[in-house]
Order: sequence, then C-alpha cells, then structure tokens
Amino acid sequence: MTPRGWLQTTGAVVGILLLVQFLTGTLMAFYYVPSVDHAHTTVSYIEKVVSSGSWLRSLHHYGSQWLAVFAFIHVIRLFLDRAYTSNRTQWIVAILLLALVMAAGGTGFSLPWDARAFFSTRIAEGLMAGLPFVGRYARVWLLGGSDISTLTLSRFFALHVLLIPALIAAVVVWRVFGSNLARLFGPRHAIAGGVVFLALAVWCLKYPAPLGPSVAEATAEYLPRPGSQFLWLYQSLKYIPGGLGSITGVVLPGIVLTVLILLPWLKRARLIGASLLGAGVVVVLLMTTAAYLSDRRDQRTREQLSKQVAEEIAWRSKPFEPARLTLTPASTTTEAMHGGPPVMYMKFCVNCHGEHGEGARQGKLNFPPLLDVSAKPRRTVDDIVGLLKDPTAYGLEPPMRSFSTKLTEPQMREIAEWIVKLKR
Amino acid sequence: MDKTDKSRRSFLKILPLGVLAGVIASVSGAAFRFLRPRLFAATDAWLDVASVSELTGPQPLTRKIVAEHIAGWAITTEEHNVFVLPAKNNQVLSTICPHEGCEVVWEQATNRFSCPCHESYFAADGARISGPSPRGLDPLPMRVQDGKLQVQYVSKEQETRA
Repeated sequence: MTPRGWLQTTGAVVGILLLVQFLTGTLMAFYYVPSVDHAHTTVSYIEKVVSSGSWLRSLHHYGSQWLAVFAFIHVIRLFLDRAYTSNRTQWIVAILLLALVMAAGGTGFSLPWDARAFFSTRIAEGLMAGLPFVGRYARVWLLGGSDISTLTLSRFFALHVLLIPALIAAVVVWRVFGSNLARLFGPRHAIAGGVVFLALAVWCLKYPAPLGPSVAEATAEYLPRPGSQFLWLYQSLKYIPGGLGSITGVVLPGIVLTVLILLPWLKRARLIGASLLGAGVVVVLLMTTAAYLSDRRDQRTREQLSKQVAEEIAWRSKPFEPARLTLTPASTTTEAMHGGPPVMYMKFCVNCHGEHGEGARQGKLNFPPLLDVSAKPRRTVDDIVGLLKDPTAYGLEPPMRSFSTKLTEPQMREIAEWIVKLKR
Repeated sequence: MDKTDKSRRSFLKILPLGVLAGVIASVSGAAFRFLRPRLFAATDAWLDVASVSELTGPQPLTRKIVAEHIAGWAITTEEHNVFVLPAKNNQVLSTICPHEGCEVVWEQATNRFSCPCHESYFAADGARISGPSPRGLDPLPMRVQDGKLQVQYVSKEQETRA
C-alpha cells in the first residue's frame, strides 16, 4: 500500500466524522433547549449529570474541528488528483461540504450560551453587519431582531440542527447516489476512518468539550477565543481595519469557494486553483500559528486565559444546579409561594401604588397608599373590583383610570383580595 | 496458499462493515446510557392542603396543593388538585384516575366522582362504582400538623409501581 493510496481515504474520513456529528448531535437534541434561560442549564445537565453526556458532547465539539480540518485536506487532495476535471460532482461536493461544515461550526458554537458562545455570536453579528450593501439587513435577519436575544439562539439552533444538516445530507446523497459503495468505502477507507474515529474517541475521553459559566456570570475581562477551525479568522481580524473584517471573514471566503466550485469550467484551472488553495493553506497555517503564539507571548493575556481555564474547571466541579420552572397559574404561585402581590398588580398598579401598596408622591400628584384600605367605607373586595372598572363612580379622580379593558374579572378580584389584606 | 488468499479477501470484504458497525456501536452504547430514563425521586415533603377547621360538611372538597418535582434539569412547581373527604376523617384522595391518569372531577348533581376520559365513576368515598378503572381513587399519605391538613403528593406512576 503506497502512501499515495492512503491519501485517497480523506473522503471516507470526512464521511465517518460526519456520521459521528449526526449521531452525537441527534443525541444532544434530546436534552438541549434553545432558549437563553435554559440553553446553558441543559448543556450543563448533559455535561454534569447525564451518563456519557460529557463524552458525546466532546465528540461533537472536537469532531466538528477535526471535520473542518479533514474537509479542507480532502479538497486539497482532490485538487492534487485533478478531480475537478475527472469527477466534477466529487469536486463540487467537497467544496460545498467544506463551506457547510464551517457554517455548522459557526452556528453550533453559540448554542451552549456560555461566555464563549455569546462572544462567538457577537462576532457572527459583526461579520454580518459589516457586509457591503446588505449589512444592516443581514445582521437583523441573523439575530431575529435589533439585538442578540433568545430569538437569535433559536435561529442559530434551527440553522445548526435543521437547515445545515439537511443541506449536508443532500450533498452527501448527491455524491453517493449511483456510486459503488464498496469502492467508496473499501478496506483501506475503513481502516483510515476507523483509526481517526478511535483517535477522536480516546481524545474525547481525556478532554471534555469546554463549557464555562453562563453568559450572565461572565466578567468584563473575559477573553473570548473561537474553536480551532476559526482561529485563522480570529487572528486575521486583528490585522484588518474594522470595516473590512466582513470582507475577509465572509466575502473573500465566499468568492474563493465560488471560484473553486466553478473551477471545472474555468480556463487555467490548475493555476487559479493552485493559487487560491495555496493562499488558503498559507493563511490558515500562518494565522493559526500566530494566534497560538500571540496568546503565549503576552503575559496578561496568558494570565487571563489560564484564569478562565481555572474558572471553568472550578465551575465544572460544582454540582449541577437545576432551573426552576413554575407551571401553575400566575395567581396561585405569587400568592401561595411568596405571599407577594399578584402578577397583574405588578404590571399595572405597582408604579403608582408601590410594591407593598405604600403609595407614592410625584410632584403634585399624590398616589394614595392602599394599606388598611379595607377599613375605609366602600372598600370591600367587591367594591375594589367595581372601582377598578369605574373609578369615578367611587369618587376617584385621574390619574386613577378604569382597568375594565386591561384586566379580566378574576384578575381584578385577585388584586382586590390581595389589597384588602394589606395592613400598616 | 489459495485458502489463505480467499480468507484474506473475505476479511477485506467485511472490514468496512466492521468499522462502520464499530463506530455506530460505540456511540450507541453511550447513547443507551445517555438516553436512559431517569427516575425522579418522589417528593416526601408535607404540603399544606387547608386548615382542618374549614374542612366540614358531607361533600368531598376540592383543594389545591403546590408541589415541587425534580425533573431532570428543572425543578418544576406544579399545582395539583386533591379531594378531601371531611366525612371520612379528612382522608385525602388523588384526583388522578387509576385507569389512564385523567383528572377526575366531583359531580355534585349525581353525588359521585367521574372521569371525563373513559367514564369511570367513583362513589363519594372514592370507591369504584363502574367503568374501566381497576380500583377506587388512590388515597394520599396525610397528617395533621398545627391544625393544618397536610399531604405527600404521589404521582400515578409511582402509585402503580408500588
């Protein structure tokens, strides 16, 4: 078996790694919740509580980085074999896979919603915003609104687990359809794929995927670092003046990938492809190395990064903290659990009458306290409900207004029942 | 010579399948552990139902309790109805039908409990009258503490397993 023969197995390795991504991703979806209040909790749950959760998540995390590396190597190998002339489908599929794998990595990084994920989302936002002509729209479309919110997380989730995998599956089917499977995944392919999987599996036993405290706990000093497959981009962005970041991060790679896809139809294909891929290899290797080195060299950066690692280790060893969910009607919870004011009181009344019904004074306006109000005439529960519907009938003046269109009868009654219990 | 060549070839034939099976099996092994359903510890907290003094009369009374359940990554606070039978020394009954777990309601007019799902009926003391339910309404562990009636809330799943 010649070394050249072993080079033919890159596609099979990409295939095996894709299979691992699909399997582990599907499994994590059994627990993950894409919402800013539960994403981090559910990922922590997978990491800290669920059996084998840490290993499976690590397979998915590092698998995505290995996948990007092998997808890139695969493209280069196909180029060297002149696949763009001999097998156009294979060539185009390889380019598309590389693009999709990077997109999957980019969207997936946001999902755990720790500080690392949040900054990754910020970078994605910035890259979109800086796009020429369409930047403003691209940004809000990606975020789902004018700022990063729980909608953003849902969008990244949908892209990451539905849209991109569907596209990857379609591309893979296109490649495999009509091919001889035994030739596509022969003994040598199997050995290469098996060895890479084994290495990944062992690596993941030793190294869990990073997960820090939730975004809410991140400090201002936090230094975000992307996954290894994006280090080249992260480092390049340091050297490029602000506005041009999107050109480097999105437009340029987009153009390169498009030209590579069109390579089979271009004249001087060998030269164009060699320059683009050559430049790509140089940029990726150089920038990734530079990223590692610059983090090592600067002492403050080094200290902060090792502090972050220590924080993550400390956080990891803390027991899992479950989220609290309240599945009762709002009325009973506030009353039964806290003895506090009803939800609707907090919405409509609290601004003027205070959290404890203590009243307030604002300039000339006097908002009367509600304490001991039940001792006054015409202030039974029924009276207060009537008063909320029609204040003037009870001799009250603006700014007290009618709430008959804002509150339902039971809500008014709940507020009234709470108010009559207020004592000085 | 010919024989070893043959076995070598058949080995090479099954090797790809073997590797695929190995990858899938190792992830599936982890998946089995990963997806294993988790038993939620029954809450043994005593939950307030009502003051004993307000539990009077011949009719079953419906009261609400607020219970906390630990369910995987969440602690959920849920509201449940329970029936109190003042006529039967304040026995507390679960409102969960022992048949399929629907919530049973008290029908004042016919003086019985009825299940809206499959028409099981229960007498005012919780005993089964008719319908597919295998038994009467399940009593919940109860006690009186400082003049308050308290219960331990047990879900149907734990009931049937016990």
